[in-house]
Amino acid sequence: MAREKIILVACGTGIATSTVVATAIEEEMKNRGIPVSIRQCKATEVPGMVDDVDLVVSTTPVPQGLSKPVITTLAFLTGMGKADVLDRIEGYLRD
Amino acid sequence: MDALLAGLKGAVDTLGATVLLPIVIFIIALVLGAKAGRAFRAAVTIGVAFIAINLVLGLMLNSISDVAQAIVRNTGIQRDIVDVGWPSAAAIAFGSSVGLWVIPVGIAVNILLLVTRLTRTLNVDVWNFWHFAFIGSLTVAATNNLAYGIIAAALMAALALLFADWSAKAVQKFYGVPGVSVPHLASAQILPIAIVLNWIIDRIPGINKIDISTETIQKRFGVLGEPVILGLVIGLVLGAIAYYNLGDFGTALSKILQTGMTLAAVMLLLPRMVKILMEGLLPVSEAAQEFVRKRAGDRELTVGLDSAILIGHPAAISSSLILVPIAIILSIILPGNRVILFADLAVIPFIVAMTAPLLNGNVFRMVIVGTVTLILGFYVANALAPLFTSAAVASGFAMPENAVQITSVVDGFLWISYVVVKAVESLGIAGLALLLVIIGAAFWAFRRNTAAWERAAGAEDEAEAVRAN
Repeated sequence: MAREKIILVACGTGIATSTVVATAIEEEMKNRGIPVSIRQCKATEVPGMVDDVDLVVSTTPVPQGLSKPVITTLAFLTGMGKADVLDRIEGYLRD
Repeated sequence: MDALLAGLKGAVDTLGATVLLPIVIFIIALVLGAKAGRAFRAAVTIGVAFIAINLVLGLMLNSISDVAQAIVRNTGIQRDIVDVGWPSAAAIAFGSSVGLWVIPVGIAVNILLLVTRLTRTLNVDVWNFWHFAFIGSLTVAATNNLAYGIIAAALMAALALLFADWSAKAVQKFYGVPGVSVPHLASAQILPIAIVLNWIIDRIPGINKIDISTETIQKRFGVLGEPVILGLVIGLVLGAIAYYNLGDFGTALSKILQTGMTLAAVMLLLPRMVKILMEGLLPVSEAAQEFVRKRAGDRELTVGLDSAILIGHPAAISSSLILVPIAIILSIILPGNRVILFADLAVIPFIVAMTAPLLNGNVFRMVIVGTVTLILGFYVANALAPLFTSAAVASGFAMPENAVQITSVVDGFLWISYVVVKAVESLGIAGLALLLVIIGAAFWAFRRNTAAWERAAGAEDEAEAVRAN
């Protein structure tokens, strides 16, 4: 089994919308058999935390030029395009 | 009806939020169609969250109360209203007697305004219903009348939708979030202030040319965006002012360092505790989304989301980073102020984010507008602190013995809270009727002249947009 991947989920508070996203990703990746561990933070904290994670998913813009792939999406909040984003996340994690 | 409500209020007071809210959430979740197992787990989680928030709040207030008293002793400056932050305000709101009602009430208001076509916003952001409950709980604290509080909360739910529709176009364009609006009073309250100030700034020669770029600010002030570090630094500074003259050097230093670490811990822990509350509410909020969506018909709606989605924008971050030190200075120099800022220094972006489309992301103007809004907010907070504190006690939160009062920037600094509470406090039911008329008139005016309102909020003119392309 592959090493557990770490996803950093960011939003304006690190609490509100990021919890929605984190819960959704965790459930779906478990269904797809990919072990993930999720960390949450504020958008401003991303540069300080990005080195320890594999992927950043954010509901709000995060600073440019990060060393890891970033997905900025509202799909988990609006419900539109959610499956696509989950596929993209899976793609990054399978690499 | 009054007897029933009084009886319910009695039950709330006896059982407390940790017992009653889980029961209510369980029932609401079932009614909205959530699965029983999931609803039950969610309900228990919410009760746990209350206990957790109470613990951290106790840690913070114990530490800060001692510091505040020592500062008064040392400097004569009285700062005894502690900013306990939005996480505490949210918990107080959901734990209040109004909080028990706010989810069904908020959903009912949204459905009513959708089917009457007075709004286009489907507010799926059930979590932020706490703002409505918060203003409702202040109203109850002022009038001791639960019905007034629930009506106030319902009016706020409607007002939030109006602000969301009003700012939708501007927000969608500037932040690049199609199909989204932001029914968030704490962020929207600044719009009228921003419109007026922007008009004035446009007419001052010289000042109207100033534009500050965002990158340099983020690099220089970036550390202020990290709550743990911010908490540590503020703790050290407050500790130094409070304890520098405490016996020998070693004792003073250890006390100062301890204060720094305690407040750093609070900054990290308080939001984490609220995250538990958020997790507990998630199944309810998902069920509520589904419930409203089904009843909204098939016309195209904008989806109302938390303003947390706007906060990452460089303009919002940069202006807030500058506003953090400004806010601290204001708390020291404003005459008559008793508020000591702390936990909500981390959420100043929420206060200014909504002005970015209107002010074209000009950080200079956002800082000016933010400063004026904060000054206003300080006086609102000073005036509302006694009600805020008694609302917290009513929701079962433990206040330390040395009698500090509490507030928070979100929503204790909100002029909307002040207007609503004062109207109901002085006029009773007539005050609520007056608010209903004002909000109703605003809805009517918005519908009659939607384009002009949207432009005022920062949306581009259709014609101009075409030319620009």
